[in-house]
Amino acid sequence: MRQKADHGTSPDPIAEPRGPDSGGTLLSADNIVIRFNLRGRTLTAVRRASLKLHAGETLAVVGESGSGKSVLARSFVGMLDKNGRVDEGSISYHGHDLARFTAEQQWLGIRGKRIAMIFQDPMTALNPLKTVGEQIREAAAIHRGMDRSASKLLALDMLTRVGIRDPERRYSQYPHEFSGGMRQRAVIAAAIACGPEILICDEPTTALDVTIQAQILDLIQGLQRDLGMSVLFITHDLGVVARMADRIAVMYAGQVVEEGLSREIFYDPRHPYTWALLASLPQLGVKGEELFAIRGTPPSLFGELKGDAFAPRNPLALRVDFENEPPFFEVSPTHRAKTWLLDPRAPAIEQPDTVRRLKARIATAGHRAGVPHPIGQEASV
Amino acid sequence: MRAYILKRFGESLVTVFIVIFAVFMLMRFMPVEGYFTREDFTEMTAEARQVYLQSIGISGNPFGQFGRFLSGLAVGDWGRSITVYPKTPIASIIAEKAGYSLAFGLSAIGISIVFGLALGIAMAQNKDRLVDSLGTLYVVVVRAIPSLIYLFLIQIWVSGILGWPMVFYADVPVSWILPTVSMALPGIAWYAIWLRRFMVDEENKDYIKFAISKGLPRKKVMTGHVLRNAAVPLVQYLPTQILLTIAGSLIIESMYSIPGLGGLLVYAIRQQDNPLVQALVLLFSVLGIFGVFLGDILMVLIDPRIKLEGTSRTGDHV
Repeated sequence: MRQKADHGTSPDPIAEPRGPDSGGTLLSADNIVIRFNLRGRTLTAVRRASLKLHAGETLAVVGESGSGKSVLARSFVGMLDKNGRVDEGSISYHGHDLARFTAEQQWLGIRGKRIAMIFQDPMTALNPLKTVGEQIREAAAIHRGMDRSASKLLALDMLTRVGIRDPERRYSQYPHEFSGGMRQRAVIAAAIACGPEILICDEPTTALDVTIQAQILDLIQGLQRDLGMSVLFITHDLGVVARMADRIAVMYAGQVVEEGLSREIFYDPRHPYTWALLASLPQLGVKGEELFAIRGTPPSLFGELKGDAFAPRNPLALRVDFENEPPFFEVSPTHRAKTWLLDPRAPAIEQPDTVRRLKARIATAGHRAGVPHPIGQEASV
Repeated sequence: MRAYILKRFGESLVTVFIVIFAVFMLMRFMPVEGYFTREDFTEMTAEARQVYLQSIGISGNPFGQFGRFLSGLAVGDWGRSITVYPKTPIASIIAEKAGYSLAFGLSAIGISIVFGLALGIAMAQNKDRLVDSLGTLYVVVVRAIPSLIYLFLIQIWVSGILGWPMVFYADVPVSWILPTVSMALPGIAWYAIWLRRFMVDEENKDYIKFAISKGLPRKKVMTGHVLRNAAVPLVQYLPTQILLTIAGSLIIESMYSIPGLGGLLVYAIRQQDNPLVQALVLLFSVLGIFGVFLGDILMVLIDPRIKLEGTSRTGDHV
């Protein structure tokens, strides 16, 4: 397993943050509202979510299924389903407001070329009837205006870069001749063929087995370093997050509820939902005790939500949580959370034991050699 | 690849053989009167009949008869028609009539493919919009209304409006049009509805989303990915459809008095023309079987996922 260069001496197993100043803001989504029409009803999948992606960083967006993390990311490349639309907010990127893009022509300058995206299931992401090479080549040919032979050379180079041996032979093979891990490599090759500035990874390892996961994550990290990309990593796998992310945004019910540097979120989470997420890690269970699980189900997004969306599932909820939506409170210049608990008037509520246990685990794990991550790969929300 | 073709070809031959055998043996259960014209049968003595039956190879051990029938086929002797076209060699009857059926059938398929695919693409691209609804309406009308009704309307009204002849004359070019169009109507509907369906299926596939996310223009995604993939399941049936045009169209050929093969089998059965029935069933089944054979070969050529024994290479694993 390849480790980040700065890991050798650091006792901190969680990805070392580059800090907020390592790069300026590259993409900034502000107060995004995304709605879908579903059989005559309107579902608000993203409710005034804001997110900033800095140059060169890896930002992980975590949350359970239906939290809107994928939808939000897809809006950055204009890939919402036909019945969905960005209703409010702006997505600033190099002086453009992507939220206002309507014509395909506008997106063609962004999609694939500057912001590329890879999806969850590599088994279905490649057209089974076209050669793998052709599917890498075609995008490069369009964005870089290359002819067939030049784009083929580029595609071969990409195959080599993503660690596919014997690229000449692999180029003319079909997806079914590739294993799952190889397909995900090919998908990544196609995505980076145009030298994008941002790579959105929508749960790219969820469908892969654990050993392959690690290889793909290494590959993405390596490419990010070599190509200087920013990576927006969507996942519900906290193990992946711990390993990959410089910063983390936690989403719940269509909103970002907490955002901070990776270590801030893992060491000092402030939102009750983040506590619950971390407490659900099975690795933190104590023998003989029942594992923690978040009770209840996420709220329906068809209607208006009142107060803090997590309040009904939060045993520590305050009365105000049911009445008014909390604003963001700053914990540090890089860390903020959307919970009334941070209001000076709120009663002091301690982080749950399990979360404190996590801190202890991270601290001890860090000192043990050969255990690069306190949180196993299989840890899922 | 060659091994696969040979294997499938061999299988097809076996199937054809079984069909011929079954048909031939079933015909043995038919009364032998089917081998005589009415006059011959009444005029001939019992011995003369035996002699005649022996001369056309229809007497004695049925397996011996079958052997003689096969050796006749091998040299192009399909036997002679008895009651429908008395004493005429069946091979020449088929050769003459099949030409008409083939000409009409192929033109109709050509029209079906061009217009059907165009309509299918238009419907898929405009899913749930007006074009799609109108296309669906057309398909439903063509498929749901008994064809006789609209076929008659076309023959009577349209020919009247345009001043075209109501029946077919081989030497009047304009008289080819209405029967061809009539034959193409269901084909257009078939191609349109299936292509639409396969295209809509394809558009929701992950790899289409990925192709779009790579920044390919919609047009390129449509032609290079969606259409390419959606056409595959349709191509399989093409050889069968083309070959079976020889069999002709029963209704349209009789409506327009086209001297094709369309109604011949039914007529031959009614007239108890045993050799002709035998020959036609043989011809149609051979066409059907080899249509499927060619379809399979085509599929191998256009769909790389179909693995051929002995030629598959397994991918390296990570």
